[in-house]
Amino acid sequence: MGSVSPFGRGVAALTDGIEAGRSAVRKMEGWGQYLGLRSLVGAPAEMKDEKLIPRLNRRSMGRLSIFAVQAAQDAVADAGLDPALATTGRMGCVVGSTTGSAISISQAFETMLPDHDLTKLSSMQFFHCISHTATMNVAQCLKLNGWVMATSAACASAMQAIGAGYDLIRLGRQDVMLCGGAEELHPTVTGSFDVLFATSVKYNDTPEQTPRPFDRDRDGLVCGEGGGILVLEDYEHAVKRGAPILAEILGYHTCSSGDHVSESSRPAMVTCMHEALRAAQLEPSQVDYVNAHATATMQGDKEEAEAIAEVFGAKVPVSSLKGYIGHTLGASAAIELAASFAGIRKGLLYPTLNLQNVSPECQGVGHIMGGALKREARVVVKNSFAFGGISAVLVCRMS
Amino acid sequence: MTKEEIIKLTNKVFEDAFEIDPEKLTPQAKIFDELGLDSLDIVDLIVALQKQFKVQIREDERVRTIRTLEDVYNFILILKQEEEKK
Repeated sequence: MGSVSPFGRGVAALTDGIEAGRSAVRKMEGWGQYLGLRSLVGAPAEMKDEKLIPRLNRRSMGRLSIFAVQAAQDAVADAGLDPALATTGRMGCVVGSTTGSAISISQAFETMLPDHDLTKLSSMQFFHCISHTATMNVAQCLKLNGWVMATSAACASAMQAIGAGYDLIRLGRQDVMLCGGAEELHPTVTGSFDVLFATSVKYNDTPEQTPRPFDRDRDGLVCGEGGGILVLEDYEHAVKRGAPILAEILGYHTCSSGDHVSESSRPAMVTCMHEALRAAQLEPSQVDYVNAHATATMQGDKEEAEAIAEVFGAKVPVSSLKGYIGHTLGASAAIELAASFAGIRKGLLYPTLNLQNVSPECQGVGHIMGGALKREARVVVKNSFAFGGISAVLVCRMS
Repeated sequence: MTKEEIIKLTNKVFEDAFEIDPEKLTPQAKIFDELGLDSLDIVDLIVALQKQFKVQIREDERVRTIRTLEDVYNFILILKQEEEKK
C-alpha cells in the first residue's frame, strides 16, 4: 500500500494522524477572494521530494499525478515487488481521478483565454489535464507495459479502479495491478460542490471541527487531496514469491441508481452492498467492519446510514475517516482502505472524528465514536459513492 | 540587446525550464544529444524563449535548423536585430 494524504507521505503518517485524533483540515489562504465560494476549508497534502522523480517523467505530471506516482512507488516497495515485473506485460495499473489536474486545467484556461492565444501553452499542459493523467504517469514512471486504464467516477474513482484491477486479475489477464486514485485540492474543486450546497460552510473559523460525518451538526463535505495505491496480485503469484499479503478481495460490485445525478440513493447503496456480499459469498452477519463513504453531507450520510442499517443492522462497527483528512474524492477509497487495513493489523477500528452526537437520521448503525475500537476484524466492507448515482462496494478478508 | 545578455537569459531558460546544470551550458552543447531535450521539450523551449525575449518564433522555419546552444543564441540575436530594423 502507498499513500500521500493530508497527514503526509506514507500509510504510517496517515495512521499516526488518525490515532492521534488530529484533523488535517484548515482554513485555506486566499480562497476568500472568490465571490460565492462559501466553504473556505480544505485538507491540503504537502508535496515533498517531487524532484526525485526524473524531469522527463515529472514534466507530464500535475499535482495529482505526483501524488499518484509517489503512492505507487511506495506501494511497490511495500509489496516487495521486483521492478523487473513491470516490463513483463503482466503488470499494469488502473488509477482514477475526478478530472485531470484541476490546477493545470485552470492554468490552461488562464493562459489561453485572456487573449484567445494558444501560443503560450506548454506542450505538457495537455498531459496534465487529460482524464487518464494519473494512470498514464504511473505507468510511464514505473515503466509498466501491461494494462493501463483510468477510471473516472468522481469520488468512487479509486474504488472502481480497485474493482477493475480485481476483475483483470480474476480473468487471468494480469498478475499484478497497481490500483487506486488521486486528487488535488483547488478552489474550482471545492467550488463545484459549493454551488450544489454540498460543502461545509459553518466552520471556516474552526476548521478542525469539520467535516462531521453522521453528526447532528454536520453541514457538508470538506475537500482534501492526495493519492492512494494498493497492489493487487493474483493469489498464487503472491504466494509463490512470498509476498506480504494483507488481505484478500472476496467481492466487488458497482452499480448506478439510474435515478438522479446528485441525490444519494439508499436503494442503490443497499443493492450494491448486497451484490458485493453475494459475490463474496458472505452474509451481512459475517462482516466485522464497514468503512463508510460518509462525507458529512446532509443527504448522503442519511442515505448511507439507512442503507448500512438495512443491510447490517446496528451490530457491525461503522466509521468514516473523512473527519481526519476531508474527502480526498477520487483517491478516497484507496487512502481510506489503506488506513483501515493498517489499523486492523494493529487491532484497531478507527472512530469517526467529529462524530459527537449521532444525527437522529443516522441512527441504527454501530458507530465507532470517541476512541478506537480495539477488536479483531477479519471481513471488511468498504463503501464508496459518487455523483452520477454511482455506488461501489468492496468486500475483503484480512490475511 | 547584446549577445552576452542573450546568452545569459537563454541559459536561464535551460536552467529553469529544463533543470540543466549550468556547467553543461556551453555554446557547442547539442540540445538533443547532450542536453537531453526531446521533441516535446522543443515546444516548451519555444514557449519559454518567446516569453523571455518577447518574440514570436513558433511559426518560424529557422527553428528547425537549431542544433546547438550557440544556434539558439544566434537565432535570438538575428530576431532581435530584425526587430530593431522594423
